[in-house]
Amino acid sequence: MELEEELTPFVVFNLGPLQVTNTVVHTWIIMIIVSIVFIILGKNLKVRPTRFQNALEWVMETIDHLIRDMIPEQPRLFLPIVGTLTIFITSANLGGLIPGLKSPTTDLNTPLALAIVVFFSVHYYGIRRKGLLGHLKHYVEPIFILLPIEVASELARTMSLTFRLFGNILGEEIVIAVLFLILPVLIPVPMMLFSIFTSVIQAYVFTLLTVVYISGAVEAHK
Amino acid sequence: MDWVNFPWDKAFIILTVLISGLGIVVGVITPAIGQMIVASKALNAIARQPEAGDMINRVVIISLAMLESLAIYILAVILILLFANPLRDFILGELVG
Repeated sequence: MELEEELTPFVVFNLGPLQVTNTVVHTWIIMIIVSIVFIILGKNLKVRPTRFQNALEWVMETIDHLIRDMIPEQPRLFLPIVGTLTIFITSANLGGLIPGLKSPTTDLNTPLALAIVVFFSVHYYGIRRKGLLGHLKHYVEPIFILLPIEVASELARTMSLTFRLFGNILGEEIVIAVLFLILPVLIPVPMMLFSIFTSVIQAYVFTLLTVVYISGAVEAHK
Repeated sequence: MDWVNFPWDKAFIILTVLISGLGIVVGVITPAIGQMIVASKALNAIARQPEAGDMINRVVIISLAMLESLAIYILAVILILLFANPLRDFILGELVG
């Protein structure tokens, strides 16, 4: 079936014992494009910004404000990880619109990897801010009976982050692929326009939830 | 009716497609109703207090994302049913013969 071939990853070549799928290759291509764009844009920064520098500063300031609103103490500490996630997910989602490329996020492994990064960074920042005992105390408050629920919600959070990003982008791709099979001219275009919106919204949601989870781990208890 | 020679494998596939179609309908309608309630309440709240718009916006997007993921779970389950059903070999191979 054509649709199935288009949506499942396949092995391109072997790197020793590792199998390199087309998802990884597409991630590399998107990484190269993003790196080149940001290196060129960030090379000669001026006090009075040019057009492109203005766009770059807008992106940075939006992410910075997002973190600042949720985490009042030392918000700059979280800018690298949150900003990286935002820019990577946005460009990975939008990468599917380039002919020949496939969004890396339509493979379940990419969102899962990102969600695991979020999971560990939440605990890392929590332990770093409040110490190991202070962080673990968060799970037995207000009473210890809630401990299993807290642990379950911790795992469900990772799973729902994974499936939200994966399902949204994959659903979009499936709809475009189905429309493409019906008639490849002009019919998929409105859906592709809509997929720009979905891609950016999903990247924003992923970022926002990351910030919410981190702020839940680092906030001071009164 | 001849139950021995009944084409169970075809029936299995037809049932899968039928259940998938029904499932996606129910699974999209219910979160849509929830999202509708969230959006209309948020509109009311912003109309009443426009200065609290930023805070309301953030909460609304988080809750819409949470509701959205319910529909996504249905989509994931149906994709598994259609393309990678783990029970397919068991049902078609062992039960049917």
